[in-house]
Amino acid sequence: MKAHGRLMIFSLVACVAYTLAYYFEWSLFQYYFAQNSIGFWEQGGAVGPPILWYGWLATAVLAGAIGAMAIPSRWVARVLPDLLWLVPVVLIFAALMYERRWFM
Amino acid sequence: MFTTLLLFHGLISVALLGAITHQAFAVAARRVEARGTSFIARFRGTDPAAYSTAIVVLVATVILTGAILYPSYRMIVRPALQALDLRAANGVFEIKEHLSAIALVLLPAYWAAWRQPLVPEYFAARIGLTWILASVVWWNFIVGQLLVSIKGPV
Repeated sequence: MKAHGRLMIFSLVACVAYTLAYYFEWSLFQYYFAQNSIGFWEQGGAVGPPILWYGWLATAVLAGAIGAMAIPSRWVARVLPDLLWLVPVVLIFAALMYERRWFM
Repeated sequence: MFTTLLLFHGLISVALLGAITHQAFAVAARRVEARGTSFIARFRGTDPAAYSTAIVVLVATVILTGAILYPSYRMIVRPALQALDLRAANGVFEIKEHLSAIALVLLPAYWAAWRQPLVPEYFAARIGLTWILASVVWWNFIVGQLLVSIKGPV
């Protein structure tokens, strides 16, 4: 049960971290597909546009892992079952709102 | 290589669609109706817990292959969409990107919620997470097919 709680905390923290990562562009690294290279700092336009999605995902996984290790399961045991589906629903709605710029 | 991987990605997506749709309808049906003999009742009458491990593997495989294909999308498809000024098509892919990431990081919680023996406290979480994953999978499949149709054969 304790391990299950940690997995659930990982998911919740990683979900929130991913949303913050794309909103604030906290990408752990950038992948420059034209050069097939990875950079940890933003490089100039000569190397072409980067893919940030891999870096956002890495940020989320890292934050989730830290959260799962640092947050005691008992702290969230009471609210965890409801948060498990409520938080992702809110974050999906936030993603839809963020990307509505493409449809204006 | 690109075409083979795209085909594999599409085939796995179809298997995932079947599994997650079965589970979503089965988990919702448990509360309100007993097993019946009609097609719909039989479709909903399966054991939803039996799908969870397969769904975790399929979701992870689909997203992993999608991640491998992503640079090709950026090099081939996205410039074509921009040249045609199809902003909405770009937008639906951006949404697909976010939903895929959220689905991927939700997999540990989904797997834990469906572990046997099923914990009664996670009943609502099982329904919620299953329907979230099902919605994401359907959205991503439709958007993927739409973009392939717009771009045409590579």
